[in-house]
Amino acid sequence: MSLASYTARRAALGLVQVLAVVTLVFLLVEALPGDAAVALAGDNPDPARITQIRAAMGLDRPVSERFLEWLTGLPQLDFGVSLVSGRPVTDFLSAGIGPTVVLAVLTLVLLVPISVLVGVLAALREGSLLDRTLTSISVALHSIPEFALAVVLIAVFGVQLAWLPPTAVGADLLVQPAVLVLPLVVLLARPICSISRLVRAGMVDALASDYVRHARRLGLGETRVRFAHALPNALAPAVQQVARTTDWLLGGVIVVEAVFVIPGLGTVLVDAVAGRDLPVVQGLAVVFAVTTVAVNLVADLVAFRLAPRAEVVA
Amino acid sequence: MKRAGLGGLLIAVPLALALLGPLFVPEEQTRGAPFMPQGLLGTDFVGRDTWYQVLAGGQTVVLVALLATAFSYVVGVPYGVVAATARLRLVDEALMRPLDVLLAVPSLLVLILVAAIAGQGLLVLVGVVTLVNFPDVARLSRAAALEISGRPALEAMRLQGESWWQTSIVYTGRSMLRTLAADLGVRLTAALYLVASASFLGVGVPPGAADWAVMVDRNRGGLFLQPWAVVVPALLIISLSIGLNLVFDRALRKVRT
Repeated sequence: MSLASYTARRAALGLVQVLAVVTLVFLLVEALPGDAAVALAGDNPDPARITQIRAAMGLDRPVSERFLEWLTGLPQLDFGVSLVSGRPVTDFLSAGIGPTVVLAVLTLVLLVPISVLVGVLAALREGSLLDRTLTSISVALHSIPEFALAVVLIAVFGVQLAWLPPTAVGADLLVQPAVLVLPLVVLLARPICSISRLVRAGMVDALASDYVRHARRLGLGETRVRFAHALPNALAPAVQQVARTTDWLLGGVIVVEAVFVIPGLGTVLVDAVAGRDLPVVQGLAVVFAVTTVAVNLVADLVAFRLAPRAEVVA
Repeated sequence: MKRAGLGGLLIAVPLALALLGPLFVPEEQTRGAPFMPQGLLGTDFVGRDTWYQVLAGGQTVVLVALLATAFSYVVGVPYGVVAATARLRLVDEALMRPLDVLLAVPSLLVLILVAAIAGQGLLVLVGVVTLVNFPDVARLSRAAALEISGRPALEAMRLQGESWWQTSIVYTGRSMLRTLAADLGVRLTAALYLVASASFLGVGVPPGAADWAVMVDRNRGGLFLQPWAVVVPALLIISLSIGLNLVFDRALRKVRT
């Protein structure tokens, strides 16, 4: 299968996936108990006032009608209007996306080289003390909840030693890079472990494979065999994991944002759910769904390019 | 061997505290001022004794994680096997495609939304963590069952006219056991991770509850005054998670070799 037809097929599948996720989230949000009209009407609600607010917000119209209207607005980036503040949902999204993207990009920039390096080092010295140490550490740190790691790091480096600011309250992320150190360490801990283990496993397999033996027999230099022949094949499984990490960084770092008080998309989500601000939640879900599908699409294409094999295509 | 020993120790401490701890909590507790250095570990954000909170707080985390993992298998394994052994390709697709959609939604978003719909409560937490975890179990079981159903042994059994029970449940089930057991550690740590993160975000458990993750969240305000109230429960969660990883990684190696 050529790259072009593979791309077309995956893109079509991705579009269907986005539609399905968006519909699912719309339904879930519709099922939320309590409604914004009741919340807005205040402590001692008057039924007439609730009906009035409901009509003003269009909440009295049938679900299907509102769904269609909302869906047709999406391609024009019209996510509707916040029920709580009346501002367009796009405002909320653009406010939260900055810090989230800064964190995600910085994490990825550090993550990929470090984890590939660690994985390759461990694989080249397979069975050595270095390999066993690196593997033990990455096994152990693999699934520590971020908040637990974060508060321990804050207690040690932020409070006890006072080397780094404990939270990012009110700080401009790019102007004061010190506030980013602890969040980045916490964000990197888990992905480095999982990705470096995949790179190590892939590299060990690749180095023992027939084509590497063949390349050596042809008299190619060891550096070229390792980095031009073995490494690309070893990276294909890791690419999928990098995609999952990117996806998580763009949508799921709610916990890290909460601990370090970073006003990113995760914080916007928590606030919106707490305030029953349904259009904002739906808008966020659309953003998350699109990024998930797009990131996976890119990852599949990269993996296809690195190692165009049958099992990747399937 | 050393690694498994260390892992066992790392599991044993939090697990013992979680399961036996509640027995040592006195009925009558005096409340002092918040974040004061009274007692073993000081007091927490509402003036309760932190040590007693630590003793009482492990139960929910551990039990919810265990229950949710068990339910993921109870739901996920039959789901995957049915998808794999279905005669119609359509049934397989109809069962597995929705899971792709579920996997495309960030797990904490699902968690927050479902908890907002279903309300508070430990059972809700168990349900949501199961919902997030079971697609992976279903996928794994489907892959394992597909591989097994293509084996010559099973074909021979079918030709001999063995019953559906014998082929699907007894033979396939037994052969899948290894793969599933190897995966148990990953599922358990994933469940622990989700339960702890959810409790930390205030999903599922009431804000005043004695729960390690809730304690970390609630006592954060007093980090400068009484760091133990935050650090001890956080370290217990970390220790449990590291221990589980080390022990199950060891077990996994044994299964594979």
